[in-house]
Amino acid sequence: MEWNTTQHVWLILGCFCVAFAPRLIPLMFFRTRKIPNWFNEWMRYVPISLFTALVVKDLFISPEYTVTFVNRAPEMIAAVIVIGIAYWTRSMAISVVLGLLAVFLLAMVV
Amino acid sequence: MGKAEAKSRAKLPYWRRILDASLPVDLSYIPIGLACGILLHASGFNVWTTLMVSIMVFSGGAQFLIASLLATNAPMLSVILMMFFLELRYALLGSSLSKYLHGESLGFTALFAASMNDENYALNYLKFSTDKKFTPHEALHVEHMTLVFWTISNIIGSLIGSAINIDLTIVHFALTALFLYMIVVQLKNGLIIVICILSGFLAAFFMVITKSTLGLVLSTLTASFIGFMVEATIRKFDTKSRWLKPMKNPAGSPEDTDEDTDD
Repeated sequence: MEWNTTQHVWLILGCFCVAFAPRLIPLMFFRTRKIPNWFNEWMRYVPISLFTALVVKDLFISPEYTVTFVNRAPEMIAAVIVIGIAYWTRSMAISVVLGLLAVFLLAMVV
Repeated sequence: MGKAEAKSRAKLPYWRRILDASLPVDLSYIPIGLACGILLHASGFNVWTTLMVSIMVFSGGAQFLIASLLATNAPMLSVILMMFFLELRYALLGSSLSKYLHGESLGFTALFAASMNDENYALNYLKFSTDKKFTPHEALHVEHMTLVFWTISNIIGSLIGSAINIDLTIVHFALTALFLYMIVVQLKNGLIIVICILSGFLAAFFMVITKSTLGLVLSTLTASFIGFMVEATIRKFDTKSRWLKPMKNPAGSPEDTDEDTDD
């Protein structure tokens, strides 16, 4: 079945709704209410946990959601390089650019 | 470094400061956005629907998922349902930014929510937690700057279509590198390192059992809650614990302020 443009538009509208609701609801909820202290303290650990989860997904999880180490050598080595660069330079731009360069070169060699 | 640079920074026009703040994401969006546009074109999207999806959904992961599901002829309802699980994690982003956006108008909140995603959240969270003068309106403009780069790259990708061939896993590494950077700059004490490692294992575990990115939400909730509970317990019994002692920063960033002071 080949989808037509009208179906694509409906699909986008549907996706917009399910993408917008989770983004909006927490912000709406805490817009006027007082945010409890314990909640803020809990949320302080959200970024680090989420970013680690995203990195683990990118590096070790296959599209079929199994843990895999096959053919991931360039990304894994580049990840170590990025961690080092980020630690020493503290520059987001340098980390991203050199990381991309590293994975590109490693993919040709490995 | 130092005062001279700080002064010349203050003189920069407003849009330049926003561009500077968002540049790492803007630049990594160019190859990823191009790849995304090419894939959407391959799965049957035209330029207008590509424009629409990049503005209204504005999420690399989600748009790649749409493209790959359309290629396998998945029914519409199941695509939308998978999107819902994929986007559920944005509830966590909103929650953790809520203390910085407290008391903004309804319209602003809706506008801010509409173009918030992993990458510009990473930028804005870091800005809010290190720069006291950073305002919610600047954060919104950072979002919109990244949106412009993303949308234009998507459109160009859609127009050049199948003319070029991009290795997706390599391009995607730009985002992985961005998240790795965000992790490294946040590793401020022993406990955070432990939580980071724990979160990694939990993420793998939950994604394998849920077979979806819902695992990201579950692992983030669990790991951050454990971190919060452990910190509260440590503070109760041993306020000078070495687990909470700030570590030395080799690059020495004077802007880094202790987050405990502002709440």
